[in-house]
Amino acid sequence: MELKKLSDLRKLIEGKPIKKLVLAAAHDIQSLGAVLRASSEKIIEPILIGNKDLIDKIAAESDYDLKGISIIDEKDNIKAINLAVQMVSRGEADVLMKGNVGTSDLLKSVLNKEWGLRRGNLLSHFALFEVDNYHKLIALTDVAMNIAPDLTDKIAIVNNSVKCLNNLGIKEPKIAVLGAVEMVNESMQATMDAALLSKMNQRGQIKNCIIDGPLAFDNAVSLESARHKGIKSEVAGETDLLLMPDIEVGNVLYKSMVFFAKSKVASIILGAAAPIILTSRSDSEQAKFDSILLSAAASQ
Amino acid sequence: MIRTLDQLVESVKTRNRKFRIAVTLAQDINTLGAVYRAVEEGFVEAILIGEPDKIRRVCDQLSIDYSRFQIVGLAEQAEAAERAVAMVRSGEADILMKGLIGTDYFLRAVMDKEKGLMKPGAVMSYVCAIQVPDYDKLLFITDTAVIPFPDLGQKVAMANYAIDMAVRFGIKKPKLALVGASEKLSKHFPSSADYPLMCKMVESGEISDCIIDGPLDIFLACDREAVKIKGIDTPVAGEADILLFPSLESCNPFYKGLMQFGRGELAGMLTGTTHPVVLMSRSESENSKFYCIALSCLMA
Repeated sequence: MELKKLSDLRKLIEGKPIKKLVLAAAHDIQSLGAVLRASSEKIIEPILIGNKDLIDKIAAESDYDLKGISIIDEKDNIKAINLAVQMVSRGEADVLMKGNVGTSDLLKSVLNKEWGLRRGNLLSHFALFEVDNYHKLIALTDVAMNIAPDLTDKIAIVNNSVKCLNNLGIKEPKIAVLGAVEMVNESMQATMDAALLSKMNQRGQIKNCIIDGPLAFDNAVSLESARHKGIKSEVAGETDLLLMPDIEVGNVLYKSMVFFAKSKVASIILGAAAPIILTSRSDSEQAKFDSILLSAAASQ
Repeated sequence: MIRTLDQLVESVKTRNRKFRIAVTLAQDINTLGAVYRAVEEGFVEAILIGEPDKIRRVCDQLSIDYSRFQIVGLAEQAEAAERAVAMVRSGEADILMKGLIGTDYFLRAVMDKEKGLMKPGAVMSYVCAIQVPDYDKLLFITDTAVIPFPDLGQKVAMANYAIDMAVRFGIKKPKLALVGASEKLSKHFPSSADYPLMCKMVESGEISDCIIDGPLDIFLACDREAVKIKGIDTPVAGEADILLFPSLESCNPFYKGLMQFGRGELAGMLTGTTHPVVLMSRSESENSKFYCIALSCLMA
């Protein structure tokens, strides 16, 4: 099934048991709004952990209905985070979401050796875009977590993303390793990593996907551009996932897709025992809602 | 002030001058189409260097009048490039343009120390004027094509070229944003370490008069709302005229993203030369190719 819109992710969860999402430090107007909307649309079943007085106050002010919603009163943010992480770790919840706490506090708990959520894999950020001028959803990784991934990191990032895309029903996702040029160029490490990743994929060292690179942005997303340049590639024009050279490139591209291309985006952290939603204050409520939908679909 | 690429064309036309363009190996359907449009619009006279038979064939394909061009018969790449460059040096032509010739042959002739077109000691770079529907003016960006990882000296040269171009478009004091992943300086992003120096270099005059700030992410550079919401005090104020990128790796996908997904058009030019040099990618749109020619006339 080809996914064209983020709302198409709903089809993946229809008729399946509803996943449980635990919101850590739930006294946060924006994330609470998105979670309750997702709950009312039967996308997830929420568990709110946080300051119950503040949660009630926010709900009253914003006209949110808390009837039937599980709330665990925990006024200490760090304890709230730790409890949320432990619930996911024990399998009592399927998705972890950040509320009114700092990202570093949440990640510290996620990485806790005794009861954290690391299972030996690198954590990576995965952003799924709905773009008007592209015929299907397109993902970018890693635009927010790993600053300057080396080859080993890139393999892990690809594997995390492939698993997620497979869960979204894309059996053999096409991955373009992004470069500024489509030739291997010694002065740009990203192009050399791209060649290695492509070959490792051909040899079956990276499975369940088709990798090609380096591909410049236009050749990755447009078959016509690739033809102009005489590039023969199974991935060109059909890219499901763009692998970024580093976070600097990813950040620029992510922000220009949101600002200039007016794209919708859903983002999650992959590689942990369960998907983690780490949206930031500057994300719209719609982006938070779409991220919840993505996490539910990805944890099927 | 020129705010759109069509206004750029109009501005060139009002100069009531025919700019003479020497096209190197002109037997290329894309190149000739754009050149002919400029001839028809009345601001260009073209000297086509290449194989007359092949040029005639392409003219027939495009149904354009072969007799409108001056033809110089030369078949060999290096020879054609040398001849075209010599014509510009001697004043027989105002502008040099690349046709169906390998970029390396073309640039070798441009960069030749004795017979080429480089300003002494100049850095070669590339500046693009980008038009996107969601921005209310043109956005000048650098470097989309030449320098993979510019050092401080190269960034200063890039800034000056872009400022010079923006001034020609009637922007008296351009706002220059030095692009990074975040507005915060960090040891993780060594490319941003040059930015505070560059801000000082405007005061000392090493960088031409402009309003400069960085690092700024794409939101803070281009989105007034984001500046307000984040409460960041920046003189660029979300109204950047110029974006200077830390690397080709980040600039190239940025502009290609805008072309593919942001409905953008562009006019771009090589910089650091004594005369304008038109060098564009085969995959640019018809309109963008025409705008590149108009830009070279404005800068001549």
